[in-house]
Amino acid sequence: MKNRFGRRAMVAGVALSALMLAACGSGSGDSPAPTANLSSPATKSGTLTVLTKFADPKYAPYFVAEAKAYEAANPGVTVDLQQVGDQPYKDKIRVLSAANQLPDVYFSWAGDFANKFVRAGAAADLTSVIAPDTEWGKTLAPAALKAFAYDGKYYGVPIDLDGKYLAYNTAAFTKAGISAPPATLEELLGDCDKLKAAGYEPIAFGNQYGWPAIHYITQLNMYNVPVDTLNKDYNPASGQFTDAGYVKAIQQFQQLISRCSNTSAANGLSHEAAQANLLSGKAAMQYIESLEFTALTKDGGASPVIANNWSFFRLPAAAGSAGDTNALTGAPDGFLVNSNSQNAALAVDFLKFLTSQQSAQKIVKDLGWLSPVAGSATDSNAYPQLQATLADMGKASQFAIWLDTVTEASVADAYLSGIEGLLSGSKTPEQVMQGVQAAAKQAAANQSS
Amino acid sequence: MRTVMQRWRLTVWVLPAVVLLLVFVYYPVVENVRLSFFSWNAFSRRPRFVGLKNYELMFGDQVFWTALVNNVLYAVISLVFQVGFALVLASLLEQFVHQRLRGWLRTIYFIPATISITVAGILFSFIYNPQIGLLNRLLEAVGLGQFAHAWLGDQSTAMFSIIAMSQWQSIGYTTVLLVVAIQRIPRELFEAARIDGAGAWRVFRNVTVPLVREMTTLLIILTISGAFLVFNEVMVMTAGGPDNATQVLGTWLYQKAFLQDQMGYASAVGTVIFVITFAIAIIQILISRRRRVQW
Repeated sequence: MKNRFGRRAMVAGVALSALMLAACGSGSGDSPAPTANLSSPATKSGTLTVLTKFADPKYAPYFVAEAKAYEAANPGVTVDLQQVGDQPYKDKIRVLSAANQLPDVYFSWAGDFANKFVRAGAAADLTSVIAPDTEWGKTLAPAALKAFAYDGKYYGVPIDLDGKYLAYNTAAFTKAGISAPPATLEELLGDCDKLKAAGYEPIAFGNQYGWPAIHYITQLNMYNVPVDTLNKDYNPASGQFTDAGYVKAIQQFQQLISRCSNTSAANGLSHEAAQANLLSGKAAMQYIESLEFTALTKDGGASPVIANNWSFFRLPAAAGSAGDTNALTGAPDGFLVNSNSQNAALAVDFLKFLTSQQSAQKIVKDLGWLSPVAGSATDSNAYPQLQATLADMGKASQFAIWLDTVTEASVADAYLSGIEGLLSGSKTPEQVMQGVQAAAKQAAANQSS
Repeated sequence: MRTVMQRWRLTVWVLPAVVLLLVFVYYPVVENVRLSFFSWNAFSRRPRFVGLKNYELMFGDQVFWTALVNNVLYAVISLVFQVGFALVLASLLEQFVHQRLRGWLRTIYFIPATISITVAGILFSFIYNPQIGLLNRLLEAVGLGQFAHAWLGDQSTAMFSIIAMSQWQSIGYTTVLLVVAIQRIPRELFEAARIDGAGAWRVFRNVTVPLVREMTTLLIILTISGAFLVFNEVMVMTAGGPDNATQVLGTWLYQKAFLQDQMGYASAVGTVIFVITFAIAIIQILISRRRRVQW
């Protein structure tokens, strides 16, 4: 029992205490963001604080190098770069926000996570410098900019592009007698049967922590629910989730997993552990993010079993779907500028540097990420599948932003736990949606009060 | 005059500790209770008074009760293994095991307690892995493959799997504490009991158990209060899932505060945890006064 209330609990406790102190100390209330001066600084000097969630040793060196490069190009500027992990970032940024101590530049996921900062007046309105018709905005993919738009204004600077695809082992498909990727969900289900007969696990699927299933639901919601309804429901103030398409999306997911994967083991298996089956050639497909594609390449450490034999396709929609069948699950990650920053102009200058052609090409080469900067993926820095991904993203009508970040947090949680229950067999699709509807109702009530 | 000066000096020396305690312990506790009557989050800096609404929401929330039941389950199972079983184990070690082997066994039992809870959690996540996990492989190897399972992925087994890991880690620690307590009992008492014809069970029941009661009381209190503060192992192994089946009060508080932005609700959960652990601490003080062993 000893050490039970250990470091993590201590961190949470200290964080909560800090929040309490912050809540007690501040009484200003919500206020619209003050207009930050974003015009180019006359002299570039001072210290710029930057907080990212890229502490992962695979990603951190890139941002450190970029910060140093910016300092070298601007001798009067010091970049105070802090990087924390994905999960701790969610705690840290909330504590800093409550304490009115946000850094000049900070990371944000697209969707309601970013919108919270906007509604709290903590994100600077960057429309004048980054809207699609501005000089800077023209260099960035419009869909990526739109992901950080709120009420017609632009608040975020996209740093990467991420889309969700079914990556597949082409050799397995050939062995199973499948000549082309499926065009509909029904065809995909038929292909799963063929792959099983050929001795493969059709789709590797691990749902420990819930989010992998949510990515399927994000895409299937987009296919089955009219876009206007979806936009209304994803807004915390008006969410109802009563459209029949939501239940249909969950039913399709249930059918897909039960026929193409192992439902009973899913909740106990991590996404990464499931990926090992694709990498070893035991599984034929996995629904993964384009940011993960590097793991399938020789440079990413994959064995020739998969490195020489992989491609990807979008999760196909069922025939006759009522929603947008050309939308793609995914979103850019990005940075926001603190609206109260004294260095807002310098922050914008730093972000322009980070999204310059040179930096964008480096991010593609070093990290294998796609950049929203036009023309950043070339033959010299991107492998063929990555270039094909970029081309496919260009064809998508819109990004379907991850369901667990685009919706209000309690709605996202109802989806996460509900789908886990569905996979465990304790909930039906209808019961999952009842939970989501109740959470949406509560969220709407909170918004109005 | 000199006495007054001495008192003032003493007060000055104690004052920093008192101030720290007030600022970092008592103020947050009181402030937590106050904030549990408000609706607030990290993004809207204007707490709105809602009276008992957060408590109403919390007590009407099925997940809160699941979390509370899980904490109770944790406490009960931990008591059985970390106090009951550990006492039997300590007694066996002291009475029947050869001196040289005893030291080895104590060390072996204690090793898990030296491993970080996070590392142990990750280790057991691998052991419980439904595809490559040691546990399922072991079951298959001994012909019990039908019991192979997604231990952390099934709502009916996930909580017990986490608790089992915790017992594995903690039993050695409590056993060593109880061994020390048994060693403090004068040898003559054991010898006298044996001369009087008492068997091993009788000696255990009538000599060992009553004379280590100070330690068992302490362990009972620590085990129960620890069970209501459990957090790390759940976060590492399941993060409260699947479908909230492994939520405990600590993880539910964390989720409400830092993932769902419902700080008022989280403060209410914090208040419940405080009330429970405070009550346990009071009971500890009262019982430990009464159960002191006099030699």
